[in-house]
Amino acid sequence: MTATNATVEKQLQQGRTKKLVGSLFRHLFLAVLAVIWLVPIAWLVLTSFSTDKGINFKNFVPEGFTLWNYTNILFSSDTVTQFPRWFMNTFVVACFNCVISTCFVLMVAYAFSCCRFKSRSLLQNLSVTVNLFPGVLAMIAVYFVLKNLNLTNSHAGLIMVYAGSSGLGYLICKGFFDTVPVALREAAKLDGASEARIFFQIVIPMSRPILVYTIINSFMMPWTDFVMAKMILNSGLSENWTVSIGLYNMLGKALINNYFSRFCAGGVLVSIPISILFVIMQKFYVEGITAGAAKG
Amino acid sequence: MKKAIALTLAGAMALSLAACGGSASVAASESTAQSGAAESTATGAIEDVTLTMWGAEEDQDLLRQISDKFIEENKDKVNLTINIGVQSESECKDTVLNDPEAAADVYAFADDQLNQLVAAGALQEIPAEMNLEDVKTRNSPASVDAATIDGKLYAYPLTADNGYFMFYDSSFYTEEDVKSLDTMLEKAAAAGKKVSMDLANGWYLYSFYAGAGLELGLNEDGVTNFCNWNEAPGADVTQAIIDIAKNPGFVSLKDESFTGELKAGNLVAGVNGTWRANDAAEVWGDNYAACKLPTYTLNGEQVQMASFSGFKLIGVNRHSKNVGWAMMLADYVTNEENETLRFEMRGQGPSNLKALENAASPALTAVVAQSEFASLQRVGNNFWTPAESLGSILAKGNAEGKDTQALVDEAVAGITAPVA
Amino acid sequence: MAKTAVRLDSGEKGFFGSFGEAFVKGDIFTKLSFVIWGLGYIGHGQLMKALLVTFVQGLGLYFLATSGIQSLMKFGTLGTVKMESTFDFATMKNVVNNYDNSFSILLLSVVSIIVIVAMVAAGMMVVASNYDLQKIRAQGKKTNTFLQDVNVYLNEKFYVTLLTLPVLGVVIFTIVPLFILIAVAFTNYDQQHMPPSDLFTWVGFANFLTLFGGGGLTATFGYSFRKVLTWTLVWAFFATFTTFFGGVLLAMFINDKKTKLPKLWRTLFMVSIAVPQFVTLLLVRNFFSDTGIFNTMMANCGVTGLLRNMGLIHTTYIPFLTDPGWAKFTIIMINIWIGVPYQMLIATGVLMNIPADMLEAAKIDGANPVQMFFRITLPYLLNVQGPALVTDFVKNINNFNVIYLLTQDVFATHDQALAASNAKEVDLLVTWLFRLTQEYYNYKMAAVIGIMVFIVCAVFTVVSFRFINKREATFS
Repeated sequence: MTATNATVEKQLQQGRTKKLVGSLFRHLFLAVLAVIWLVPIAWLVLTSFSTDKGINFKNFVPEGFTLWNYTNILFSSDTVTQFPRWFMNTFVVACFNCVISTCFVLMVAYAFSCCRFKSRSLLQNLSVTVNLFPGVLAMIAVYFVLKNLNLTNSHAGLIMVYAGSSGLGYLICKGFFDTVPVALREAAKLDGASEARIFFQIVIPMSRPILVYTIINSFMMPWTDFVMAKMILNSGLSENWTVSIGLYNMLGKALINNYFSRFCAGGVLVSIPISILFVIMQKFYVEGITAGAAKG
Repeated sequence: MKKAIALTLAGAMALSLAACGGSASVAASESTAQSGAAESTATGAIEDVTLTMWGAEEDQDLLRQISDKFIEENKDKVNLTINIGVQSESECKDTVLNDPEAAADVYAFADDQLNQLVAAGALQEIPAEMNLEDVKTRNSPASVDAATIDGKLYAYPLTADNGYFMFYDSSFYTEEDVKSLDTMLEKAAAAGKKVSMDLANGWYLYSFYAGAGLELGLNEDGVTNFCNWNEAPGADVTQAIIDIAKNPGFVSLKDESFTGELKAGNLVAGVNGTWRANDAAEVWGDNYAACKLPTYTLNGEQVQMASFSGFKLIGVNRHSKNVGWAMMLADYVTNEENETLRFEMRGQGPSNLKALENAASPALTAVVAQSEFASLQRVGNNFWTPAESLGSILAKGNAEGKDTQALVDEAVAGITAPVA
Repeated sequence: MAKTAVRLDSGEKGFFGSFGEAFVKGDIFTKLSFVIWGLGYIGHGQLMKALLVTFVQGLGLYFLATSGIQSLMKFGTLGTVKMESTFDFATMKNVVNNYDNSFSILLLSVVSIIVIVAMVAAGMMVVASNYDLQKIRAQGKKTNTFLQDVNVYLNEKFYVTLLTLPVLGVVIFTIVPLFILIAVAFTNYDQQHMPPSDLFTWVGFANFLTLFGGGGLTATFGYSFRKVLTWTLVWAFFATFTTFFGGVLLAMFINDKKTKLPKLWRTLFMVSIAVPQFVTLLLVRNFFSDTGIFNTMMANCGVTGLLRNMGLIHTTYIPFLTDPGWAKFTIIMINIWIGVPYQMLIATGVLMNIPADMLEAAKIDGANPVQMFFRITLPYLLNVQGPALVTDFVKNINNFNVIYLLTQDVFATHDQALAASNAKEVDLLVTWLFRLTQEYYNYKMAAVIGIMVFIVCAVFTVVSFRFINKREATFS
């Protein structure tokens, strides 16, 4: 009796150690992965505090720490480091783009998801086809279209380019609208609500996740795009630039050895608003993208 | 319902496009209005003129200072506003050629871009009545040549030391050492140090082949190249470069890595231009010295390395609405006083002969010494990628062991290819 | 134009028919409304509508009259008068002749064609609608008031209200540029023919011949195209599937009950999302440079020496981004680094939606975790994510940022035949065409390559959706 008890105990013990070892390995593995994912970010943050203005090739951790890189790009602007100006420019463009793009995407998605009309499927196929052309190629033509509208070198032009074609990105949002029960809309219609009212008062309030997803995506666009922005804001006047052009410029051949650590500081500063937005809206973001993807 | 889409579509499109139609006609009427305004200037009224000037990032303060002086000096003739934009001189054509009409009225660029800018009609030929003779005589003949195509002057020479030369740590090398690359590499290897030159770049690679008497240049069409690097002794030159690249005392560093290695104390000499030489002067302090390029060993004989000479130029946009004032400004930026100021503030060697007399720097002396072996950069666009490709194969010591003759044959095929 | 085209051939069959009938049977107002849209509505008592449509028509006509028609007349040649300028010392300005700008002509012509097609279609609709009004009045009924008409656009025709602006934006900023670039593929628009100083003109299929056979540069352009296309497809395949499976596995690993603090782990991996992609890419490219910090670390811990002994490198450093083979490997790795956190985020959400009873049932049946993954989880994921994978693949074919930011100015090609056509081993078709336009101004070949990219993407999309739909049909 006691003997069997002892063996059971022993087996349990073994099972527990096995579990423990397994769990240890599992978490060790995760930790290694996490380190791989964090090393470059750590390098970014560390370098942004470095006293060395250029790239440090020899030491991962800089020899001296300073806040100078931040104070320099924030408060003493020369033509290379007009960070506050760039930040404002990008912020304004991002806000406008956010509003217009979100409206466009919702409108197109609702029309394709909830309205029935004859050219619907054709328009949808067409939009998929158009999406297959490489945007980079059309860039130069977009530039000349803007030039003909007298909108080059203006933030308005940039907003129009970002927002203009945003209607094409309706797919995920449409996938989400497709999940809104038809019965709900039918009922509202019976109550005499117009299509417009159904859109604004029933479907939109139900679509918070996808709304958030669309907002984040369109808000991030101006912070991350630099090719288009560089092409359109080509006057060479750096006070008109967006953050991405400015930071990209710092890594030019002639400047990189003097500005690399300030580039890193700029990179950290840009990440702050994006992280905040992300943390606040993460839950909806995931819901939106998965709900949309599940159906889209 | 479709009608409605089509209607609004047509309408809105018409609306937005009426704007572009409108702008086109506005542009036309503007030009007449302007010439009218200009005529009225002659009769007394002061005209408003806005100019944009592009210069390098590091030159912004200098250019602002010069512009302010220019505005002040001409305030009784014209009401000037000058905006200064950032555009690195080495990549100027990339921006200008995208849309010459949107480029600045006055812009600085490196002389290798001249033929492409002229071919694209982006540069204003300087007419005789705009101080042409003075510009030609006050600058060094080589710099005027660099700004001239078919006997027409297309830009104002700005600096004369935009080429490359050798600089070294004089506590490590004697003046005798730096005459031969072999000696230098040997000494460096023994001390565990390096001599750097960017082989994976047609600009520097040229110096070995040209030193051996091989030719490279622009055909008469102004876009395609001629090149005989694949004739004798091209294959041997290629082998010589491979040997140099494999030498433990040698390293082929890109500009971005150069300064880091320099600061880490790994370099004792480098072939580069003033932009990196300044970093070296900072690191080596009083031991910083510069000289012409050394000789290298080709088939057992010493061959002097050649080079591309380099000049910075300031050009005026042919599409400028105020070419006249733009030319006056470019002229002013490159006069004796301002080139001297540029030398003082930025350390760039003047092309202006009088300013040059008063300027002295190790780099400038080295450039003058090298000038005997330097030639103008008149190369079509198709040179760079094939040469870069050849250079990077050589810089890695020809790891695949390709036949040297085949290497230059293929490079020449690319360099001389028609422009597609 | 695309829109109109769609309407025409999607055609309710009656479109031309009803127009014809309306035009033949219509009264004088209906007929006149084809020429001046407003006349019909005035005649049929809808003043407000009349003003609106006439205004729209006026704008269209104004555009055509001021610049559209002029451009269309030069469309055949794309201009004949070269720019000439002479300096006028008296005015201090250049006197410029009235020159043709081939690009403007092309652009305005494309726009004009769209406007004309749209206006003709709209005119026909106006006639048909007037005929309806005429019939309503003939029956003695009342036609809609303006307010009633407006109301229609918030109800039955709400989609018109919704779609108008987005479609307009797409037409101006996507469709027009697209048509222009398709047109450019048939011209000689390159460095020797650059507006405004020079003219370009039509050359038919010459550029396509250059890419596929005949023409001066065939050998290298055709060769480069094949090479670049191959790598583009290889890249798209690896980029799509490595990140997808990486994300799924990581998500499952973190979601597993045995993992403690799943939220913390998830957050750690998501830190990299917060930094904009171009910052991380430019940073990482310096991180992996030949003399960079990572190489220093590798050399210090002896990896470099090991690889050298194994014959994998011939240099004193690891050429992460400068040797063709290594660069391809590094780029795919870096892309995993960038892409996996996103995919993990999505996979986490999708995995939560797997019906729990399905998994429970499998467990009771004695399935082990590997079996469960391949029998249940993976099919479910593929089913849900299949279309997204296809779009991801297409996005990766056009993944400009990763390749461009990692290799521009860093990577030099080792293949001299590629160098002759300005391509590199690591180039995707899009980065190649971008460099052709930005550094070599070879717009004509870039346009041809762009069309090829489109064909590749289109073929892939069509085929894979066929496949997905078929599978789905058998699956359920």
